[in-house]
Amino acid sequence: MSKKKVLVVDDSPTAMFMVTMILKREPYELVKAHDGQEAVEVAVLERPDLILMDVVMPRKTGFEACRELKQREDTKSIPVILVTTRGEGENVEAGFESGCNDYVTKPINAQELLAKVRDHIAG
Amino acid sequence: MKQSDHGAYVRKVQEGAQSFAHDLLGEIERLQVLVATLEAEIRAETRAYSSRYAEIELQNSNLANLYVASYRLHGTLDRQEVIDTIKEIIANLVGSEEAGLFELDPGKQSLELVASFGISPEACSSVPLGSGLIGRAAQTGEIYVADPGRPPAGAGLEGRLTACIPLSLDGRVTGAIAIFRLLPQKAGIEDLDRELFGLLATHAATALYCTTLHQRLAVA
Repeated sequence: MSKKKVLVVDDSPTAMFMVTMILKREPYELVKAHDGQEAVEVAVLERPDLILMDVVMPRKTGFEACRELKQREDTKSIPVILVTTRGEGENVEAGFESGCNDYVTKPINAQELLAKVRDHIAG
Repeated sequence: MKQSDHGAYVRKVQEGAQSFAHDLLGEIERLQVLVATLEAEIRAETRAYSSRYAEIELQNSNLANLYVASYRLHGTLDRQEVIDTIKEIIANLVGSEEAGLFELDPGKQSLELVASFGISPEACSSVPLGSGLIGRAAQTGEIYVADPGRPPAGAGLEGRLTACIPLSLDGRVTGAIAIFRLLPQKAGIEDLDRELFGLLATHAATALYCTTLHQRLAVA
């Protein structure tokens, strides 16, 4: 059985390293992007099974990239989990308005992240 | 067989059957108690296993955090990258949106702000050693963590100081990291944060020292 592919998007090398370490414990193939613009390009090319994306990024924010991915016919069905700095109403609302399927807040809790990724990948 | 003998035989059989049924009921009861005991033991063991598993998972995550911090701090010879990494550790691993990184100016005996996020740099661009919570933490070399149950101990920007980590190298304080407000969803400083502070106290100091030295050598 082929491994499920997860696209991890973050401009912070530390956060990217952290998330990669957590997800490496599961049988996923990881692909990376470093900003929202690159995320859209990689998603179109790689067709991941799930996208885990930071919100605050250069070139294109996580909200903008998510909105674009959900508008495109070829990527709209890919579940997107946003990593937000704030778990407050306004920020979460903006995330869901952009079309994201779920969100996790910083600092990332490994168990919570793995549970959400497993959940959304299982469909 | 005579009728009296037949009656005695039937009674004997009945008594035997009653005794057997009684023994059987006793055995069933004994087995029911045994099953209930075993079920309770299995439930307790499952609970203990789940709790131990969760504990190991947490330890695993905590170690991963410490590993990431250490790996990132020592993975470069670029001073700016070390500074960025310190900021990323505070933002992503500790969970703060306001922090400042200071380096000691031995000549002026003050802490000079070299990087910050979420705060106005003018508010704490220079802190005299021994002055205020940040200056005192740097002077004593002791990590300061605010007590959430008490009113703020500092004034102005220091009024929202959550922690101050003196950076030390070879027994000498070389700077400090001041962490102000935590992210709203972060309830407070946890055990892992304290371990991260301990790691930052020495590893951030070493990384800053090495990269600064490398930068000077490269220029020379």
